[in-house]
Amino acid sequence: MKKGVIIRIGITYLVVIVSLVFFIFPMLWIIYSSFRTQPSIFTGEIISSVKEYTLENYKTILSVTDFVTYFINSFKIAIAVTLSSLIFSISAAYGLSRFRIRGKNVIILGIFSTQMFPIVLLIIPLYLIITSFGLLDTVIGVVIGHLILVLPFSVWMLKGYFDSIPVDIDDSAKVDGCNILRTLFYIIMPIAAPGVMVVGFFSFIVSWGDFLIISIINQSQRTATLTLVIQRLSAALLIRWGEVAAATTLTIIPTIILFSFVQRRLVEGLTAGALKE
Amino acid sequence: MEKKIKTRKRVFISSYNKYFLILPVIIIIGIFTVYPLIEGVRTSFTDKNLLKEEEQYIGFNNYTKLADDEVFWLSLRHSIILTIVVVLLQFVFGLILAWAMKQKVPGMPVFKSIIMASWVIPVAATVIMFKFMAQPDIGFINIFLKLIGFGDLNKYWFGDINTAFPFIVILHLWRNIPFYGIAFLAAMHAVPESYYDAASIDGANGWQKFRYVTLPCIRNIIIVMITIHVLWTFNNFDFVYLATGGGPVYATNVLPVYVYRKCWTSYSLGQGASMGTIMYIILMIYFIIYIKISGREEKT
Repeated sequence: MKKGVIIRIGITYLVVIVSLVFFIFPMLWIIYSSFRTQPSIFTGEIISSVKEYTLENYKTILSVTDFVTYFINSFKIAIAVTLSSLIFSISAAYGLSRFRIRGKNVIILGIFSTQMFPIVLLIIPLYLIITSFGLLDTVIGVVIGHLILVLPFSVWMLKGYFDSIPVDIDDSAKVDGCNILRTLFYIIMPIAAPGVMVVGFFSFIVSWGDFLIISIINQSQRTATLTLVIQRLSAALLIRWGEVAAATTLTIIPTIILFSFVQRRLVEGLTAGALKE
Repeated sequence: MEKKIKTRKRVFISSYNKYFLILPVIIIIGIFTVYPLIEGVRTSFTDKNLLKEEEQYIGFNNYTKLADDEVFWLSLRHSIILTIVVVLLQFVFGLILAWAMKQKVPGMPVFKSIIMASWVIPVAATVIMFKFMAQPDIGFINIFLKLIGFGDLNKYWFGDINTAFPFIVILHLWRNIPFYGIAFLAAMHAVPESYYDAASIDGANGWQKFRYVTLPCIRNIIIVMITIHVLWTFNNFDFVYLATGGGPVYATNVLPVYVYRKCWTSYSLGQGASMGTIMYIILMIYFIIYIKISGREEKT
């Protein structure tokens, strides 16, 4: 018995250590490399002398390129996607979770089945639609493109979350004279806050990390985002890895910071829909 | 008077408001997802090209052309193999990770809180990290191999025809295994402890408990995770496009990347759309089989 426990703990830590090396180390390595000079990276050594560590890469990225502009673009777009995705998916998920709606199951299945539409096929007409609306290379155009990526999953996740909140709560609010919107905002939302937070976070990181949509809709600096920029930097003929590492680090930091706020809720929110059924 | 209007308004709201709640999502998905799908399928029967104004219907020409296109068949095969291999490995490693995270040992809460970080960072950044590590001479993988005496393996791992594809698989695994692990863990926590006690009384060992108690209890989440990841992996464009662009010599080319190139490099939207339509048909067949199977199992 005792031996069994020791083996179990041993295997557990083995899995933990292998996982840390595989999942966490690559991130640490690129952050570490962003503080090294180009020559020290090219020595092929893991550790270099103290004077080879520098902030030069960050200075170059922030001053020579329009990195700040792209950062602001990414931020603007991601915030707009997050807010609009929340508004639309909260109301839809609440409607689908609480009311008798004709063809409800068809609607739910329909929304879920859009997940199987090949996005590369959708963007062909989407490009033409957005162009005809005059939204090419605009923030609104990009936001629309990102919304179709996040809405189906957001609605599905939130519906699962709302389903787990007892209907009695709505009923008692109704008795107290609350209408639908009041019930939703003052009674349900505070309870569903963790789920809402997760959906907001999900929308933000999908938008922040998107490459496909932005590569089609973007035409100029006006809407260029960080993913496009780091891709360009890393596809250059002579790659300056120190600077690429700095730019990449600056790109992942916001997502990591947000993640640290929601990580505890993330699981609960992501799996609410699936666990419920 | 005031009151009357108010009541009427309230009646109106309460009977129709529920439809207004879901309307915006329906409209957005309708205009920007469902309509593009239909329009995309229609485009596949035309010779639409970004460089010219008019388009003509050319029947199944795009499709017959595909039949002779070796790169198409290669990409199709890659897409299917990639999806199967990736989802299978993610599932197995996800289970192992979930099992480990369920053990109550010191440090586990911290581990659980950081492990999903790989899922939240942009794919473009992930690809850069791995491309950087895979660089010849200066990449960590090659530095490490040299340290342990395998210096002659030194190469650009994404640029080698034999290792590029496995490295694409690794990118997918890196991003998604923690998500599987965390999701499975959440489901495992929902399994009542009494089930395990009952199994213990019946003399089940650790593996048997896992096989006959844990697995059946988390079946739902397993099905959901596998289903969405089959769709996501098969449709995934970023990893291959950013890491290898489909190369070297088409060794990693998958359908989404080929469609993208047809449309936005050669500008033949019709050709691209026909391949996109085939992708859609494949996924639809998968989806129908999934619904049939899950429906049948629910009945029994």
